[in-house]
Amino acid sequence: MSLVNYRTINIDLLDPESSANFDLSTLTPSVQPVSTSDVQTLAGQIPQLLRGGDTEGALRGALENAPYGADEKGKETHLTTVTEILQSIRQADMSPLLQRIYRSPNGPETLDVLMKYLYKGMASSSSSSHSTSTTNSTNKQITPQATSGFSQIHARNVGGDGGGQAMSVLLSWHEKVVEIAGAGSISRVMADRRTV
Amino acid sequence: MGGEHKNDVQSAWFNRDSNDGASLQYDACITQSNKPSEPPHKMSQSLRPYLQCVRSSLIAALSLSNFASQTSERHNVPEIEAASSPEVLLNPLTVSRNENERVFIEPSINSVRVSIKIKQADEIEHILVHKFTRFLTQRAEAFFILRRKPVKGYDISFLITNFHTEEMLKHKLVDFIIQFMEEVDKEISEMKLFLNARARFIAESFLTPFD
Amino acid sequence: MPSSEVHHLFHHPIADHSFSADRQTLAVARDNNVELYARSGGKFALQDELRGHDKTVTGVDIAPRSGRIVTCSQDRNAYVWEPSPSGWKPTLVLLRINRAATSVRWSPSEAKFAVGSGARVIAVCYFEEENNWWVSKHLKKPIRSTVTSVSWHPNSVLLAAGSTDGHARVFSSFIKGVDPRPEPSTWGERLPFNTVCGEYLNGTAGWVHGCAFSPRGDALAFTAHDSSITVVYPGGPDQPPKAVVSVGTQVLPLVSLVWTSESEIVAAGYDCEAFKFRGDEQGWELTGSVESKGRPGLTDQREESALNMFRQMDLKGKVKDDTQLNTVHQNTISTVRSYAENGGSVSKFTTSGVDGRVVVWSL
Repeated sequence: MSLVNYRTINIDLLDPESSANFDLSTLTPSVQPVSTSDVQTLAGQIPQLLRGGDTEGALRGALENAPYGADEKGKETHLTTVTEILQSIRQADMSPLLQRIYRSPNGPETLDVLMKYLYKGMASSSSSSHSTSTTNSTNKQITPQATSGFSQIHARNVGGDGGGQAMSVLLSWHEKVVEIAGAGSISRVMADRRTV
Repeated sequence: MGGEHKNDVQSAWFNRDSNDGASLQYDACITQSNKPSEPPHKMSQSLRPYLQCVRSSLIAALSLSNFASQTSERHNVPEIEAASSPEVLLNPLTVSRNENERVFIEPSINSVRVSIKIKQADEIEHILVHKFTRFLTQRAEAFFILRRKPVKGYDISFLITNFHTEEMLKHKLVDFIIQFMEEVDKEISEMKLFLNARARFIAESFLTPFD
Repeated sequence: MPSSEVHHLFHHPIADHSFSADRQTLAVARDNNVELYARSGGKFALQDELRGHDKTVTGVDIAPRSGRIVTCSQDRNAYVWEPSPSGWKPTLVLLRINRAATSVRWSPSEAKFAVGSGARVIAVCYFEEENNWWVSKHLKKPIRSTVTSVSWHPNSVLLAAGSTDGHARVFSSFIKGVDPRPEPSTWGERLPFNTVCGEYLNGTAGWVHGCAFSPRGDALAFTAHDSSITVVYPGGPDQPPKAVVSVGTQVLPLVSLVWTSESEIVAAGYDCEAFKFRGDEQGWELTGSVESKGRPGLTDQREESALNMFRQMDLKGKVKDDTQLNTVHQNTISTVRSYAENGGSVSKFTTSGVDGRVVVWSL
């Protein structure tokens, strides 16, 4: 009993009327739960479109069916789907494709979803590789550096260029989307409570 | 013909004020010393979209207003630090160039926290970055927007509040952070070269056989 | 031909501004005080200062007919200032709120005013003759976060409010003995106090910054932090709205807006310039900026001579001098208000912003 350190208790959380207890899920009433298997079905259909050469259809299909209500695993699966589509589109085709999507009905919203996936792509790869890189760096510090203590040769031995290639695809997409949808699409990524 | 030529010269001059000049040099130098296999132009190409992405993300995130606290009476605190009202915090953004270099932007209604992970290719750079950021954060009061402690997983953090965007020009604040990101890479690599040269000199004089 | 009249008053944020009915007096909120400026010639000169608040003043409004000034501040108080022979005399308003007041507006009848607050309530204030003071009634449900802005319907009963919980709401603020019975409108027929006549969640649930009724009062527009502007056409009492039109713009979030006619809106915010919107129930679109780009004076003075270029490089280490934005306002615009009306539509409006400028725009 007396072991409880009362000074560390956040009393705001105990008051149901406190603003600290704002329920953010009430701000997304339209989001329906999506099962992971549905996401996987979609992930299976998209590559067919890609193989058929219909990259625009594939991208649209993936973005318009963004699984807001899925759990982490389902969202992760869909992110992989979107990233694959993005990587399969050539640099020269990006701007005309985005222009076409933006002018179509609901186009601006579709690009906002794309923007969400671009940021998510950049965030997730860094978090997943972050765990590997930390273990790696601790290893480095623990093992005595016999001769290569101050060498520059074995730098960046971690997984090729550390995901730089995938990032540069996302970064160039980001630049193109900002050109077309403006800074407004970034503010919508930040403001939107429906996360991908 | 003559006129066209003149224009070219001028535009070349104008481009020099932007980011590319300095960083290009640096990247070329690093790629040569670290990864001879990779063509140098590839790295410098990927720096520009990275900084551009950071720039546009920061411009959007720095839309701040004067917002008094909802939890404590008569207080006005950076909501991103207090985190006492979930609805006034926005979704954080991550911009990454590769796993070693990324920027984490946490926006809220009256403040934005920007954290930077500086490239550390090897142990020397790791030590240099640590010393360098420590040097800066210990003098945080002179930097206005510098946070005394970086966010976990990052090397240096800035905290920008609505009072900063009111006093200073927003695009200049963004420029400052972008410039910092460019300069810090250059700085670290310069220090590393200097350190290596010095270490070599010392080693040589230490190991010089007696005559 | 759009033209603008720029008054750079000081280098401090202007949280809110208000003109008197004859447009000769300008009240601006500066830090903890409200400053009154009088027009002399083409300029505004400091005339008086209203001191009394001890935290940042967030709202100021001059009643057009009575000339009373109401101010509110983050110190949780509001004052009504009345002219007297010995200067402006403040009367404290019993707001009964325990967090910052965020915005204040007189009702068109001038018998009431509304104060939005961070205490998740709106205080509707009216004068009680027998006690000789301003008292308030609270609009409370279902507000869940700070109220960012309040705006009155022309009938002085309905009140629109935007909030950081992502909702724009329409309330009835009917007070017996103060208000005449309102005509039934498309918002509702019976309107006891705190009736919620409409509650609209912004598409992305971004914070609602500004809200305003259309001139006739049959539509509501609000701007949100997701850079969108939404116009709601109600479908009658207890019916879903006839149309909700939302425009996601390419610009940074818009903070404040004003209807210039039934089919046109001017809104401004973090992009430091005002934008025009046009539309109806079928749809709305951004038609362009109010500012004509390439204004004389800004481009002329910066000739691209070699001398100038080297001088810049010498002084600042860079070629271009980019310390100035190419908009009139150099920082976020926080308030847009109507200035002059002509045959039912606004012909001039004013903007004030964080850069300490007040600008009068002609449409």
